[in-house]
Amino acid sequence: MTVLGTRPLRQDGREKVTGQARYTADLTLTGMATGRFLFAGRSAGRIVRIDCTEARALRGVLAVVTHEDVPAVRYGHFVRDRVLFATDVVRYEGDVVAGVAAVSDDIALKALDLIRVEYESLEPVLNPHEALSEGSRLVHVDWASYDAGDIVRDGNDCSRSTAVKGNIDQGLGEADLIVEEQYETDMSHPVPIEPHAVTAQWQGDKVTIWSTSQVPFDARSGVALTLGVPENHVRIIVPHLGGGFGGKSDFHYEAHVAVLARKARRPVRVVFTRREEFIAPDCTRHAVSIRVATGIRRDGTMTGRRARIVLDGGAYAADSPILTEVATMMAAGPYRIPHLDIEARAVYTNRTPGGSVRAPTGPQICWAVEQHTDVLAARLGMDPFEFRMRNLVEEGDEGPTRQIFEAIGVKQALQRAAELVGWGDNLSPDEGIGFSCGWWLSLPLPSGAYVKLNADGSGTITTGAQENGSGAVMGLPILAAETLGMRPEDFTVLAQDTDAGPWDMGSCGSQTTFNNGRAVVAAALEVSEQLRELAANELEAASSDIELVDGMAKVVGTSLGISVSELAAKSHDGGSLLLGRGSGDPPATPDHDASGCIGRSALGAFAAPSFFAHAARVRVDQDTGVVTVVTVGAVHDFGRVLNPTGVEGQVEGGVVNGIGIALTEGTQHDGDGLQTNPYLLNYKLPTAADAPDIRIDFVEALATAGGPFGAKGVGEPPVIGTAGAVANAIARVIGSRVYQLPMTPERVWSAALNAEQPEVS
Amino acid sequence: MNGYVAAHTLDEVLQELSADATALPVAGGTDLVVGARQGKYRLPESLVGIHAVEELAGIGIDQTGLTLGALAVHAEVVNHRVIAEQYSGLADASALVGSPATRHTGTIGGNVMNASPAMDTGAPLLVHGAEAELRSVRGSRTVSIGELWTGPGGTCAAPDELLTSVHVPAPARGAGSAYVRLGYRRAMEIAVVGAAVMVVVDDGGEVIQARVAMTALAPTIRRIPAAEEILNGQSLTEDAIACAAAAVAEAAQPIDDVRASARYRLAMAAVVTRRAIGRALSRARHTNDLPPAVSMHDFGGQL
Repeated sequence: MTVLGTRPLRQDGREKVTGQARYTADLTLTGMATGRFLFAGRSAGRIVRIDCTEARALRGVLAVVTHEDVPAVRYGHFVRDRVLFATDVVRYEGDVVAGVAAVSDDIALKALDLIRVEYESLEPVLNPHEALSEGSRLVHVDWASYDAGDIVRDGNDCSRSTAVKGNIDQGLGEADLIVEEQYETDMSHPVPIEPHAVTAQWQGDKVTIWSTSQVPFDARSGVALTLGVPENHVRIIVPHLGGGFGGKSDFHYEAHVAVLARKARRPVRVVFTRREEFIAPDCTRHAVSIRVATGIRRDGTMTGRRARIVLDGGAYAADSPILTEVATMMAAGPYRIPHLDIEARAVYTNRTPGGSVRAPTGPQICWAVEQHTDVLAARLGMDPFEFRMRNLVEEGDEGPTRQIFEAIGVKQALQRAAELVGWGDNLSPDEGIGFSCGWWLSLPLPSGAYVKLNADGSGTITTGAQENGSGAVMGLPILAAETLGMRPEDFTVLAQDTDAGPWDMGSCGSQTTFNNGRAVVAAALEVSEQLRELAANELEAASSDIELVDGMAKVVGTSLGISVSELAAKSHDGGSLLLGRGSGDPPATPDHDASGCIGRSALGAFAAPSFFAHAARVRVDQDTGVVTVVTVGAVHDFGRVLNPTGVEGQVEGGVVNGIGIALTEGTQHDGDGLQTNPYLLNYKLPTAADAPDIRIDFVEALATAGGPFGAKGVGEPPVIGTAGAVANAIARVIGSRVYQLPMTPERVWSAALNAEQPEVS
Repeated sequence: MNGYVAAHTLDEVLQELSADATALPVAGGTDLVVGARQGKYRLPESLVGIHAVEELAGIGIDQTGLTLGALAVHAEVVNHRVIAEQYSGLADASALVGSPATRHTGTIGGNVMNASPAMDTGAPLLVHGAEAELRSVRGSRTVSIGELWTGPGGTCAAPDELLTSVHVPAPARGAGSAYVRLGYRRAMEIAVVGAAVMVVVDDGGEVIQARVAMTALAPTIRRIPAAEEILNGQSLTEDAIACAAAAVAEAAQPIDDVRASARYRLAMAAVVTRRAIGRALSRARHTNDLPPAVSMHDFGGQL
C-alpha cells in the first residue's frame, strides 16, 4: 500500500495554529541587546564622513559598527558587487551604513539619530533604459573589476542572456502578420508576514545565528566569506519561518548582526520593521519592460518571436544574472515557435535590488506574453483557447534551446482549466474569462539527508532543507515512510540547522521535494537495506525476499514477518544502529543546443519542466475599473503529486498571490527614487475577502529524470499564471488592454475609456 | 512616551486631560498606533486610556434620535437594528471600516476625532446632521459635526476637551441614507473617494430634502450644497442624479497621491455620488430592491 498521495497532517500545523510555534523574533537570550541599522535613506550618494562619536558616547549603547569593523570583502552570488557596510558610496535607500547595539530599542534608535553621515549628492540612476544609454552615470564605477564568473556584463548592464534558435529574420519573413507590443510592470514585493529577524551569539570564536533565512547554508557561506571565518565556525539555525516567498533567499543580514554581537560582547537581535522589510532586502520582484514581436500565419501557427526584456535589477546584481536566463525561457513560452531571438538584460539602477521572489520574472513575463498570445489570436480572428491548443507544445516537441520534451500535460491542463471556470457559458456583459499557459523549471542540485530509526522503531529525518511554510519539509516523512513501509507519522524532522543537516540549497527554486526528497529516499533505502538484512537473519530467508510493508519486514509470499520496531530494538541491542544517509543523484540537464545563445551559464535548458494553465473568470466594474476575480481554474502538471494537501495549498496561495500581482501590488517611488508605499495600508495585498473560488486539478505526466517518484518542482509555478489570465479576462470585458502591471482600477478605467473597437467580439 | 493612565470615570479623564496638555485620550488605538508605526507622528508623551469608562459606552435611541457613546465600536453600529434601518448610511460606513478586528476595536469617537478626510463614518454623520458633545473640566458644549473638523487631522476641540458622544437627530419620515466608497480591495481598505447621501421623500416619492457629503475629496469631509439644491424638489430622473454627481465632482479638490491621481478621483467622485443617491433613494422609497444595511453582506457600501 502506498502512502504517496495520502493526506497526513503536517507536523508543524498544530503548534503553528495554537501559537506554540516559536519564530526568530520570539527567542530571548540572557543579556541580549537590541540591534538597529542605519540605512542610507537616499538613492545615491558619496560618503564623505561617518562620525559615530556621539552615538558611541550615549549611555546604554553597547556597540556601533561601520565598514571599519569588517574585512574589506565583496560578496554576491553571481557578481561580487556588495559590501556589508557602505564604504564610500550608497546605491539605494536600503544600503546599510552602520549598525547599533544597545540595551533598549529606544536607546538604539536615539543612537542612530546621533550617527553623523556626511554625503556628497550623486544623481540617482532610476530608469533602466536610460541606465543603458551612452553617458549614463555608472551605478558601479568599478564594475569591470568585480569577480563575476562567466556573466556577460557591460557598465550598468549587469547581466545579458539570450535564447536564440533558428533564424529570426527567416521566421518573421515567413509570417503573414507581425504583431509587436510593449508591456511594463512595476516593482513588487514578496511580503512575508514575518519580517527579517536575526539573533547572533558568539561563544569563543564560533557564532550561532538564529535567522529568518530561506537559505541557511547560503547564509553560512556569506558569514564565513565576509567575516573571514571557516564555515564550521558558523552555525545558522532557522526557527519556524513565517513565510518567505523568496524574500528571505540569499545571504542578508546574518553577518551584520554577528559583527554587532562580537563588538557588543552580547547576544544581539535585530527585527526589521515593515518599512525596512520593503526597502532593504535585495529581493524585490523586478520591474520589467518587455517588447515582443511575433510572426503569425493565417493558419494560426507562429513563425518566429523577437523579444527584448529589461529587468530593473536595482543597486546590486543579487540573483538577477541567472534570472535573465529564466526570463528568456519564459518569453518563449510553452509554444511551438521555430525561430527565436530573445534577449534579457538586468540593469543596475539606484533602487532596491530585485531578487528571487517566488518564480522570479515568471508572473511578469507570462502576463505580458500571454496577453500578447490573446492579441495574436484576435488578429487572426481566432478564439484564444483554440489558438493556444493549436500552438502549445507536447511530447516530442522542442523547447527554446532545442530540448526535447517528454510526456507533458499543458494541453490537457488548458482543456481542464477551461472546463473548471465554465468556458462557453453565457456570461453577463461585465464578466469575462481569460487564459494563460506557461512553464517553469525544476532545479537539479545536490542535497543531503540522514534517516535514522530509533530503538523503539520511530524514525527521525535530519535534513539541511528549509521549511518556509510551504510544507515541503513537512512532507518528507511521506517519502521515508513510502520507502520503509511505515507511516508518515512514524517520522519526525530536524531541519534548517547547518550543524545538524547536510547541505541543501534552501527553500528556493521549487527544489526542496525535488532534490531533498530524492536524498531522503536514498537515505531511507540505506536503512531499508539494513532492515532487510536483519529480517533475513531473523526469518531465515534471503534479504532479496524481504519486503517492508505496514511496519513489518515480511518474507514475500509467506505469512512470516517481524515488525520494524522489533528489528530496531534488536539492532540497537546488538550494537548496530540503523542509520542511512543520502544525497540522491541530481538528474542531468536535458540535452539541448544553446550554441547560438549568449550568457547561458547556468540554465541551458529547463530540467523536468512543469507546465500549467490558469483560467480566470472576472467581473469588471466599468465605471470604476475595479476588478473582482470570481473564479480561477488552476491546472498544473507537477508530475507525480506526492502530497496533495501540500500541493493544493501551494496552488491556492499562488493564485491569491497572483491576484495581488495582477491587480494591486505595486511599489511607487518619488522623484528621488524612494519608495512611497512601503506599508501594508498602501501596498495592497489581497485579503481573505478578495480570494476567489479556486478550482484546482492536476495532470500527472511523470518526469523520468526528475524528483522522487516522477515529481516535478511545485513551489513556484502556481504564482505565475493568474495575472495573465486575469488580464485576458479584463480585456474581454472592456475591449482594450492594460499594458501596465499591476492593473490597478485606475489603469483599467483608463484603458476602458480608451477602448475604441473591441479587440474580441 | 512617559505617561499612561487608565481612567475609570469621565471625571478622571477630564482631570487628566486638564492637568497635562500633551495627553491624548486613547480607546481602540487603531489610528494612533498604526499612524505612529508609519512614522506619521510619534506617540504622544502621555496617554489616557478611556476604554473602561462606562459613561462613554453604549448606543441609545429615543425620540430625539440616536446617541453614540464615544466608545461605541463599529461592530456595534453595524449590528444595531435601528441604525441599519434609519441611519443606513452610517451602518454602511461602519461595515466598511478595516477588518473584523478593527471593527471590534475601533470606536466612533476615535474615528470622528482623528478627523481624517478619508474616514468612513464622517460623511454619513454629516448628512444625518450629527452633533458632537465636547466635555472638559470647564464644562460642556455641543458643536455640529461639520464645524468640528477644521482640516486633515484637526478639530476645533481644545486639548483638554474630550468627545463624549455623538448625537444624530431622528430622521424625518420618508428618509433614507447610504454611503458608498471606492476601495481597491474588500477589507483593510481606506476610501479613495466616498459619498454619503440622505434624502427625504414625500408620499409621491419626490425628494423634499437632500443632503450630500463627500469623503477624501477635500481637506475635510464636507457637504456639497450645489448638489443638494439640484436634488431638492425633484422626482430624480437619471439626468438630475447625473447633474448632482457632477456638482460633487465640481466641488471636489482632489489630490494626487499614492492611492490615486486627482483626475481619477474626480471621475470617481461622480460615480460614487450617483450610486449613493440611487441607493439612498431606494431606501427612502422602501422599494425593497435594496435591503437595509445590516442585512447586506459584510461589505455593505463597497463598490
